[in-house]
Amino acid sequence: MDSELIHQIGNQARDLLESGTVKGVIGYERASDGLTARPFFAYEPAAVERLIFDETCSYNLVKYLLDKKDEKMAVVVKPCDSRTINLLLNEEQIKRDMVFIIGVTCPGVVETSWNHKGQTLQARCQTCQLSKPLVYDFLAEHEPVERLEGELYLDIQEMETRPVTVRRAFWLEQFERCIRCYACRQVCPGCYCPECFAEQLDPLWMGIRIAPKENELWQTIRTFHLAGRCVGCNECERVCPVDIPLSLLNRKLEKEVKELFAFQAGLNPEELPPFATFKKEEKLGFEE
Amino acid sequence: MSLDNPFVPYLATLKSAVRLTPDVKLLRVELEDPDIRASFIYKPGQFALLSAFGEGEAPFGIVSSPQHGDSLEFAVRRIGTVTRGLHELEQGDILGVRGPFGNYFPLEDYVGKNIVIIGGGIGMAPLRPVVNRILEQRDDYGKLLIINGARTPQDLVFAPEFQVWVEAPRTKLELTVDRGDEHWGGRVALVPDVVKEVAPSPDNAIAITCGPPIMIRYTLAALRKLGFKDNQIVTTLEAKMKCGMGKCARCNVGDKYVCQDGPVFTLEQISQFLEQP
Amino acid sequence: MKLFTSKDDLIRWLNSLLRERIIVAPVRVQELTVFQPISKVEEIAFDFGNTTLSPKGWFLPPTETLFSVQNNDGQPKLVPAVIEKDAVIFGLHPCDARGIALMDSPFLQEPGDALYRERRARTALIGLACHQAQPECFCTSMGSAPNDPSHVDILLTEVEAGYIVQVVTEKGERLLPKGFVEYKGALPTPPEPQAIPIKEVIPAIRELFNNPYWERLADRCLHCNICAYVCPTCYCFDVRDYSDRGNLERVRSWDSCQSSGFTRIAGGYDLRPTKGARLRQRFYHKLLYFPEQFQDVACVGCGRCIKACPVNIDIREVMSDLQQLEAKSES
Repeated sequence: MDSELIHQIGNQARDLLESGTVKGVIGYERASDGLTARPFFAYEPAAVERLIFDETCSYNLVKYLLDKKDEKMAVVVKPCDSRTINLLLNEEQIKRDMVFIIGVTCPGVVETSWNHKGQTLQARCQTCQLSKPLVYDFLAEHEPVERLEGELYLDIQEMETRPVTVRRAFWLEQFERCIRCYACRQVCPGCYCPECFAEQLDPLWMGIRIAPKENELWQTIRTFHLAGRCVGCNECERVCPVDIPLSLLNRKLEKEVKELFAFQAGLNPEELPPFATFKKEEKLGFEE
Repeated sequence: MSLDNPFVPYLATLKSAVRLTPDVKLLRVELEDPDIRASFIYKPGQFALLSAFGEGEAPFGIVSSPQHGDSLEFAVRRIGTVTRGLHELEQGDILGVRGPFGNYFPLEDYVGKNIVIIGGGIGMAPLRPVVNRILEQRDDYGKLLIINGARTPQDLVFAPEFQVWVEAPRTKLELTVDRGDEHWGGRVALVPDVVKEVAPSPDNAIAITCGPPIMIRYTLAALRKLGFKDNQIVTTLEAKMKCGMGKCARCNVGDKYVCQDGPVFTLEQISQFLEQP
Repeated sequence: MKLFTSKDDLIRWLNSLLRERIIVAPVRVQELTVFQPISKVEEIAFDFGNTTLSPKGWFLPPTETLFSVQNNDGQPKLVPAVIEKDAVIFGLHPCDARGIALMDSPFLQEPGDALYRERRARTALIGLACHQAQPECFCTSMGSAPNDPSHVDILLTEVEAGYIVQVVTEKGERLLPKGFVEYKGALPTPPEPQAIPIKEVIPAIRELFNNPYWERLADRCLHCNICAYVCPTCYCFDVRDYSDRGNLERVRSWDSCQSSGFTRIAGGYDLRPTKGARLRQRFYHKLLYFPEQFQDVACVGCGRCIKACPVNIDIREVMSDLQQLEAKSES
């Protein structure tokens, strides 16, 4: 654990709480296994001593801001998480002056689950292009971390070499395990619809049946709803209790959108996303 | 239930559907199987789950009086998918009925007492069989005060029955609306304010109330201020239900199941678990 | 009655059972172990901590049809679902067997759930005692034990050369093949899971209903359905109609009190509108309301929720927090 980083985060958090600038600070604390991390909401200066920051802090805390829209909150933000900030600013779900961003130069995180800590950095950390958050109000700094210049989509490209029938069979097998716990949706910062299509009765998109066909509908429609919006935080894959490789699906569409529109979500809060944009010069297909 | 599976409803035919207000219909249904009709015995306060096949199932208080004929009556307000399905049924169409479920108003305990009935909007529906029962056995009960409010005069659900209620001995009917119209010459006030204005005495009295949550909240406060104790205040709760028989655990209000321990509760039983105003 | 079987004889027996019955057993799927109907006895995983999902899905499937309505010339005919084959659940741990027994209370109570009752009557439980306690286990604090035979028909305990076979019920006895010899030795010492003082805390939690603790704890809760779905004793379900060209099915599926629309009625009113209210409901239902109805706490200490919760809401920690809150309010 980097005590210098904790020190900086802690001091900033304490100042913000003591001065009443924010109602609460959303950070990380040690989980009940004594090994990994979990989200922590500090509302009093004394609670700040529970804050930690280390390689187990893989959670994306930014979505919690959507539950706290009435109060100004501070949130601890890694470089990857800052893309979420930009996404939510861009989609007008949070106001910039209602959040104090405690940025952190992150050395990378490992895979964690309860009572289990991985030994190597997550794949997305190994190819991370961001040395510090894209937006912050305060930056807890650390020595710069050596970044690997790795290929971003190696696993996607490998999938793309397989014939469509093989890919389809692979995904149907994965979706069979889905129990529709909706943890992927609940944790995803891009999924904030007050009424998800999954809950709609009228029209009925897929209903409540927990069965392969409906699971397939659920997963594919959610993935398409995130096309051009997914910021690659990987939380969906982390929380899935039955190990469905959701990151493969979402990054596939991220790659497609990048290739088609030269756009990646969360890099710039001003840039209009492709599916919310219409340009007159776009071909509609029926001019001829 | 049919075929020993309590989720399978009894089939019933819609005998008539009378429009009471712009969004409320009084549905009269008759169970198809004569044996089931004979054994379907219910008391005021109990409910049934009605199926609009294809749309779903939802709970509705049974508003007919058990003595009156073999039909069951339900006052259904059109507000969602199932109620839309029920409103679209035509005379002769088939629907499903499961029940009777829940507890009932312990009217035998209220004998000799003064009864205050406070109903708002569609909340008047489960109270109607209570009013009718008291009127049928008028001498068993003391004074009867009915305070009935609605958003507008068109939304007073049992308007055609008011004449009968008003003409009963030792009975007073106080109507009110949130918004009048050009024909309305009556009171324009919120139900809790009418409770304060009429100020029924808590002596030897029971207050039974049902209506929208916000009306209930202020009505309970008004009753308490008048001196009604929590065990003198009775309400009937609405909850989302799927099984109606204590299995799906959806209708927990605190430690009570609305479908089994309720829907009729005294305030004493549930005050701890209602959302604080 | 204690008998003994070698691993080979056990496999032989399971193969013979498989000829007439469905066998649902732990199976390794990628990195997970899950209960599934097997097509070959070789698929069974014998060495696992505990499965990701409990075997409750056999008695209360994630999705099942309650009845269908067939339209015969406009006159609807209600056709209830039927259970096809006898089954055996093999390899469940005592905590999970206790979970099934706890679920019997709401489902078999009048009016009994016909589908659940039928499955229960036609399914035998062959349990597997635990030889190791996991860090998340606390079954002994919740009325179970790693070697508890109470709620199974047969309990197997692994020893050096094979398995001790404890025959608990007549249903179990009828399943046995001939040829298992008597086992004269002692049962091995069971492992000792962590002990936590849950029982003492429970009566006090009623007073903590309006405590701000619940909203604070719910800050990090995602309100997904994971805890309820992996739990052996959570049983909330949703019911919906599906119609297709005049034919209708009424379907029941797993649901959870955590989901945001759980208590919302048409028109928008919601009995439990806040995160804290929903999170509190799960703990109160399992620890307070269920025992008031059925005399047993609806938690078997399997620890699945602890392992699976993406934000580490740990029931043992919650219990400890409530105990401290209770002590503070008393002083």
